[in-house]
Amino acid sequence: MTAVTAQRPRQPSRFMAIISKAREANIVVLSVISLLIAGAFGAVLIILTTPSLLTSWESFFSHPGATIASSAKLVWWAYESLFQGAVVSFHDLSTWIGNPTKANLATVLGPLSSTLTYASPLIVAGLGLSVGFRGSLFDIGGQGQVIAGAGAALIVGFSLHTSPLLQVPLEMVVAMLVGALLAGACGALKAYTGAHEVITTMMSSRIILALLPWFLGLGFIARAGFHDGASKTVNPEGQLPLLLGHISPSLTLNLGFPIAIATVFLVQWFFNRSKTGFRIFMVGQSREAARTAGINIKQVTILTLALAGALLGMAGMLELTGIEQFMSTNFGGSYGIDAIAVALVGRNKPWGVFAAAVFFGMMQQGGQIMEATTGISQSLAIVIQAVVAFCIATPFFVCDIFKLRGGERLAALETSAGWA
Amino acid sequence: MKLELRGITKRFGDLVANNNINLVVEPGQIHCLLGENGAGKSTLMNVLYGLLTPDSGEILINDEPITISDPKDAVAHGIGMVHQHFMLIPVFTAAENVILGSEPVRPWPLLDHRAAKKTVGELSERYGFDVDADAVIEDLPIGAQQRVEILKALSHEAEILVLDEPTAVLTPQETDALIEVLQELKAQGKSIIFISHKLREVLALADVITVIRLGEVVGSTTPAQATTTSLASMMVGRDVNLVVDKAPAKPGEVVLKVDDLFVEDDRGLTTVKGVSLEVRAGEVLAIAGVQGNGQTELIEALTGMRRATSGRVAVGGVDTTKRSVRGILDAGVGHVPEDRQEHGLIPSFSIADNLVLDQIDDPKFAGRFGRKLKAIRENGEHLRTQFDVRSPSVDTPVGSLSGGNQQKVVMARELSRDLKVLICAQPTRGLDVGSIEFMHRQIIENRDRGVAVVVVSSELDEVIALGDRVAVMYDGVIQGIVDPSTSREEFGMMMAGARSEEEMA
Ligand SMILES: Nc1ncnc2c1ncn2[C@@H]1O[C@H](COP(=O)(O)OP(=O)(O)OP(=O)(O)O)[C@@H](O)[C@H]1O
Ligand SMILES: [Mg+2]
Repeated sequence: MTAVTAQRPRQPSRFMAIISKAREANIVVLSVISLLIAGAFGAVLIILTTPSLLTSWESFFSHPGATIASSAKLVWWAYESLFQGAVVSFHDLSTWIGNPTKANLATVLGPLSSTLTYASPLIVAGLGLSVGFRGSLFDIGGQGQVIAGAGAALIVGFSLHTSPLLQVPLEMVVAMLVGALLAGACGALKAYTGAHEVITTMMSSRIILALLPWFLGLGFIARAGFHDGASKTVNPEGQLPLLLGHISPSLTLNLGFPIAIATVFLVQWFFNRSKTGFRIFMVGQSREAARTAGINIKQVTILTLALAGALLGMAGMLELTGIEQFMSTNFGGSYGIDAIAVALVGRNKPWGVFAAAVFFGMMQQGGQIMEATTGISQSLAIVIQAVVAFCIATPFFVCDIFKLRGGERLAALETSAGWA
Repeated sequence: MKLELRGITKRFGDLVANNNINLVVEPGQIHCLLGENGAGKSTLMNVLYGLLTPDSGEILINDEPITISDPKDAVAHGIGMVHQHFMLIPVFTAAENVILGSEPVRPWPLLDHRAAKKTVGELSERYGFDVDADAVIEDLPIGAQQRVEILKALSHEAEILVLDEPTAVLTPQETDALIEVLQELKAQGKSIIFISHKLREVLALADVITVIRLGEVVGSTTPAQATTTSLASMMVGRDVNLVVDKAPAKPGEVVLKVDDLFVEDDRGLTTVKGVSLEVRAGEVLAIAGVQGNGQTELIEALTGMRRATSGRVAVGGVDTTKRSVRGILDAGVGHVPEDRQEHGLIPSFSIADNLVLDQIDDPKFAGRFGRKLKAIRENGEHLRTQFDVRSPSVDTPVGSLSGGNQQKVVMARELSRDLKVLICAQPTRGLDVGSIEFMHRQIIENRDRGVAVVVVSSELDEVIALGDRVAVMYDGVIQGIVDPSTSREEFGMMMAGARSEEEMA
């Protein structure tokens, strides 16, 4: 054997060690980088869409400092109001500290309360999608399950006058059942005929959407005396109680949020510790190996989609009884679609889904306030949201640009969230 | 071309898979790499092929240092590789897979399918391989897939050909054919690196043999200076008993009874044609035969993976013919599937999880709803030590283990269950000699504990070593059940379709 003296690598300095640590691709680094990219992208958009700024760039070479300063100022203002609108306004905060009245406290808590209210159903819907992804099933028609679940909860909500302790759980159960039946039927179609769940859930969602106006027009659903396509209202016993109602009734944060957090814990347990969750993951990762190990693939396929549907139905119920209290033809916004992005951005991890949903809520809430204060369209918030989603969903792209190591590992996570 | 690897070091975290490895392959040389499971052979080859980036070291071709950062570079430098675990696209045809990466096009961007098929047809004819260019990969038996891999590597006119355990899944006939092909390539001046755990093959083929242990080269030798025993001890670092010594079987009750079983394959052809067998507690029935004679479908029918068209299977007197896979596992049947990567394991799961894959509901590992993670880990630790699975920890994903160590995981899982019947297909595929010795002992121990064992193997050596009785299967029919002491010639004739004269009861 030839003896070759290997070159001894130089001892890296501590600073280099930190840099090197930061270059190790992980979800935190990836998220931070994604936010920075989105922020930069948004800044360019702000400048391009603000005529006065754009003209100032024409004379960039005569006063470069002023040009940059004025652009930076507007961008900063936009992001500041975005943040303050989504989380807390510093001005209101100092007012409250100077004068701690209930009314001032309500103003302080307002933005965060709205953000979390919006996020609550989205968290649960995102968890529903991630249950599907865990088993490599793509419940793209979640919107239909959201609406169907809400519809079922609505009937219970306006027809019963019981105690909230009974009525709210009952609404939840019927919403989950209806969502589970709807998605489970698509699962059964897949298990027994091989029909792809993307087609079946999407089409079932279309059907539900088409049936919604008819449903709302039904004599016992429609609001008496009105023909505006709105339904009756959920009785007070069936509404989710406000959490901060004692401070101000304008704080919309309701029981839906703790329920969403509990669901995060539950799904976390389900993924990591439960037998059924393990089976679903097995089938998701390798159908053949699961079959060899004695798993009933058909059963697990149906169950996976039924569970996903149950969570989406529950999201519909939370939206109905926590926020809207009645249904109209545009009920539920785009929760079913946003949930897909939330599950992917959250990388199928329950707390990741939570964070992603809250982030989406922040962009939604903050965007409105930003538009109101700065005049910059709230679409900017949607763009930022989309760019972040894009970067996190394509880790290879980010890792390549920033020369991060270990992109494969992040991507591997991604494929486990994919579908076949 | 002359290939030289200089000072190659590759780490995975704390694990040093290759430690300062030097290797020279001369033109026209067949260089065999030997080493235990997990010694670092595949890692070294993946470095050469650009699939892994080494931490240090360099690669030289004709004494010129070159950089290989991905397989494209490797192919451009005339390096072809046949991987231990196939890199074929399951839904593509054989022809499409072979041309992948160097697709013949006629007016861009259209694929020239006809040219592709022609290339494949010519290649298979030239090298005497029987490959159906139109067959979709996932429908092909694993041996045929391997031939496609080899054709793919040859199709690039590689000057340096790396074959990582190409013969693990080949029949002896196919192996002989491959060896001939390699000899011919060598005569054309190509350099070949050949990895195998089959020492006899290595001695027949090699010009130089280099042995790797724990990521380091421990020495080189030539077939003239080595014997199977010397090679084995060089690899493992101790003397290896190449033949299992086992006490004669003490057969008990009939535990597995197969009656006139007919089974169809995916294409609807009847490939098991009226098989009847009886296996008793405490004996090993080995099923010999060239692959593709119905063994796969027979095993699938026994384990519930495939419905028999007619006939009956009973385990311990209970009819299991129509039972689900779960029902059959619960009846006490252990199953080591032929294709570990596809059926036996979930590569992304940890070792610990893979060791309980078919025991999710076992009260040892789960309560009513939840899994007992601690017990699962402990079980993993225990089996990892007992079966010498080389890995950093039980949390390591099985997919990152070396091929042989993956096989150990499957074997460990099935052997650790409380079994009445153990059905193993190719139980030692890809294992090094030391591990084969160990695994054979484990199987025999199970036999002596009263398990009825069925071993399907295309290795005649293994069949003879393990079987108390040997059934030879040909064209879906058991040609006869004979004593393992039957001569190799006799076995060869039976495997080619001749009926046995001295049938055993
Ligand atoms: N991607 C990876 N990540 C982490 N560890 C790895 C990876 N690939 C290989 N290893 C480890 O490196 C060691 C060497 O593995 P390698 O596949 O090279 O062994 P081998 O000599 O080819 O063994 P076998 O004969 O079983 O195929 C093993 O301990 C394996 O667990
Ligand atoms: Mg290997």
